[in-house]
Amino acid sequence: MRARLLFTATLLAGTTLIAGCDKVSKSFANASEESVKETAYPERVYWGDTHLHTANSVDAFGFGNRLGPEEALRFARGEEVTSSTGVKAKLAHPLDFLVITDHAEGMGSTMALYNAPRIMINDPTVLRWYDMMHKGPDDSVKAMGEILEARAKGTLPPMFRDPKASAERTHNVWNSYLDTVERYNEPGKFTAFMGFEYTLMQGGNNLHRNVIFRDGKDKVAQIDPLDPTNELTPDKLWDYMDSYQAKTGGKVLAIPHNSNVSNGLMFMMTDGGGKQMTAAWAKRRADHEPVVEVTQIKGDSEAHPFLSPNDEFAAYGKAGWDIGNLMLTEKKKPSMFAGEYVREALKRGLLLEQKLGVNPYKFGMVGSTDSHTSLSTGDENNFFGKHSGVEPSPRRAMLPQSLGSGPARFGWQYLAGGYAGVWAKANTRASIWDAIARREVYGTTGPRMVVRFFGGWDFKGDDLKGDWVKAGYSRGVPMGGNLAQGKNGAPSFIVSALKDPDGANLDRVQIVKGWVDKGGTLHEKIFNVSWSDMDKRKQAGGKLPAVGDTVDMATATYKNSIGAPTLATVWTDPEFDHSVRAFYYVRVLEIPTPSWPAYDAVRYHIKLGPDVIAKAQERAYSSPIWYTPAG
Amino acid sequence: MNWRQRAAALLREPLVQFLGAGLLVYVLLSGRAPDLGERRIVVNEAVVGRLAARWSDNYRRPPNPAELDGLINDYVRDQIYYREALRLGLDKDDEVVMRRMRNKMIALATSEAEAATPGDSQLQALIDKDPARYAPETKLTFNQIYLGQDSPEQRLAASRVLGKLQAGEDDRNLGQPIPVPASFSKDPASDVGSVFGDEFVGGLRRAPIGIWSGPIVSGFGLHLVRVTERTSSATPKLVDVRQAVENDWRADARRRAEGDGYKRILSGYDVVIEQPK
Repeated sequence: MRARLLFTATLLAGTTLIAGCDKVSKSFANASEESVKETAYPERVYWGDTHLHTANSVDAFGFGNRLGPEEALRFARGEEVTSSTGVKAKLAHPLDFLVITDHAEGMGSTMALYNAPRIMINDPTVLRWYDMMHKGPDDSVKAMGEILEARAKGTLPPMFRDPKASAERTHNVWNSYLDTVERYNEPGKFTAFMGFEYTLMQGGNNLHRNVIFRDGKDKVAQIDPLDPTNELTPDKLWDYMDSYQAKTGGKVLAIPHNSNVSNGLMFMMTDGGGKQMTAAWAKRRADHEPVVEVTQIKGDSEAHPFLSPNDEFAAYGKAGWDIGNLMLTEKKKPSMFAGEYVREALKRGLLLEQKLGVNPYKFGMVGSTDSHTSLSTGDENNFFGKHSGVEPSPRRAMLPQSLGSGPARFGWQYLAGGYAGVWAKANTRASIWDAIARREVYGTTGPRMVVRFFGGWDFKGDDLKGDWVKAGYSRGVPMGGNLAQGKNGAPSFIVSALKDPDGANLDRVQIVKGWVDKGGTLHEKIFNVSWSDMDKRKQAGGKLPAVGDTVDMATATYKNSIGAPTLATVWTDPEFDHSVRAFYYVRVLEIPTPSWPAYDAVRYHIKLGPDVIAKAQERAYSSPIWYTPAG
Repeated sequence: MNWRQRAAALLREPLVQFLGAGLLVYVLLSGRAPDLGERRIVVNEAVVGRLAARWSDNYRRPPNPAELDGLINDYVRDQIYYREALRLGLDKDDEVVMRRMRNKMIALATSEAEAATPGDSQLQALIDKDPARYAPETKLTFNQIYLGQDSPEQRLAASRVLGKLQAGEDDRNLGQPIPVPASFSKDPASDVGSVFGDEFVGGLRRAPIGIWSGPIVSGFGLHLVRVTERTSSATPKLVDVRQAVENDWRADARRRAEGDGYKRILSGYDVVIEQPK
């Protein structure tokens, strides 16, 4: 395709092009990673997005995105950027890091097709898509829908499937992307990671992974991103990661996402191919995939009311997403839920560990956006949509918005979220990547709540009066860590949550415990451990009175007259059994706030349908701390 | 073969020359019918070669004779329709054609912009244009204690606590717990803003140096603060901010080239916008 593009340029430019200069400066003036000092333990949380698409992604471009990695990085760093639809966009506060994860498959191909001279296209179907893309944004979105559907059905025209041309184009787009990332990576100030999305599918079932490198261009440019076409399980990806590490001495990890639309395949009790899981397979999975993305624009994957009927907050981000797989080619059956929600997967992991000696699902949690607009927008009042076809506009909230055919999902069912909080010792690739690898991370649905979580054997309420962070690290383990059996009593946990300085007060802090008993039965229980107005809101039967609701839908506003800015406690498990495997993670809930459709309704004077959910209690999910009995 | 050699090779292609000439005719003589001499369509070896190569490119095999005939027929058909359409002026007032041509002109004007490397003087000029953008951020050194959510009662309490602090009482025994550090040392204002909210940074900028003052408001409520150091922004030096300036220069290169290109063409036109009578 490069030759073809060049052909156009030559056609136009004649000899003037020859005078061009292809020398690119390779000197990077930013401070080196090594010059940035790590603190003794993580002192602050770093905010980022591990999942963002630019115009280099096949679908993003087709949906109208015209912003490349450069604009994406500038936006994440806090610059004002003009969106593809011409709207000025800026974050209230910059992010600390970003991973641009364009689809490896067909990287840059839609852009190349769009820019190709029309006479170079023979295939009538491709020609039709080409013309639709050039006709305008609406037709372009339609064309993209057809391309994605053809892909899912395996009926893409030959020119899309040509592996040689595709590999060459991917190589060029990849290297240009790596150059841009390198120019915007500023150790100590802003970390730009290199990565891509491995868009693995089984039919329309989502098995997608984001691949994140710890290294710079010197290592990462030694390989090209891996194309998942023709694969059904993640094994080839893990081979690829192993070979990258062996070849370069670098490090790489993968983060699965949208288990909620995998139709039960993301966290199976078997291996990826449906065969009995072996200890070796379980270990491979855990080694390569230390973290999952628990919440993002396409719904929330923490828990489902079907699996957790006693969890009154499990319904968040399920509407529209629990009706079928990603492409809506297969409807959801209740039997599938257990294989696609994170809390259940954590429980399954305990059971598998009991059988195999290895826990394949011992993962931490992050949130990220999966925006296809090049704009990492996780805030409800500043949401630029899933893709450029649904950037701010009066009709987007009520628009049917499905990939492929089948029952429809609607605009309002997409969530504005999320972000990843990382407890790293410095803002560098090495420090942030290492923190992700050791699972010292948490996910939020957008608000930047500060959440700390330590587990140990001797924490007492009085610890909160002193330097409890230091105590947490010296006498216990942080989120993502392991507790081995202690000498005395039950484990205790230091939990602390602080509201987003620009956001809503907190309703409550919960600890979610999961365990497997000796008979192999899985259990879960949610403990309310700290909440606002504790003297007035008395717990009964494990349930708290609701925090209240200050949302005014007419103006899309709320008041922080309820809830608390910060909640903290030391909690000891009252039902601890030292003989059973367990995990504990924290869930923090904000007071109710308007969701993005509510802001749209006020901004554009539109009426939302009666079924639209336009307010929610946003939340944070910490990575778990695991307890493993001795012996 | 690098891209220049490839470009040079392509330029020697008859089809390229032919189409290039055609385009030139189109651009220069836009609106005028092609000469009778152009009513001759030659399908020579080069054209057929290119058609066949393109087929092979798409289908990974050469076309069979029937397919090649089809390709040639289609080529001739394209040429005839294209020329007749130009003759009839069908390209005029067609938004798709206009947008395509405009995009090609922009691609032409900007093709070199991205590869260029800026010199020191160009970068220095960018800094001089907006020194504040590149100046090192204000760094803040301060202590803070938290007094709970903003309310009239808490403000009263704050003034009592402030009195105690000014009388020399230990700040570690005062205030309410909050999981943010009590002291910050040389932290950039934007980082402080991310922790406390921007309103708080505004308060720190106005606070007197060296003494306890407040309350000032953050996203969490009321704070008393003692600012001990507030660096003022120095003049940015190119050597310190080179990457940032170069990034800006590059990000802007395309837009600049497009604007310059348009200005050049525009200067050859008389644009008359008539006012409604």
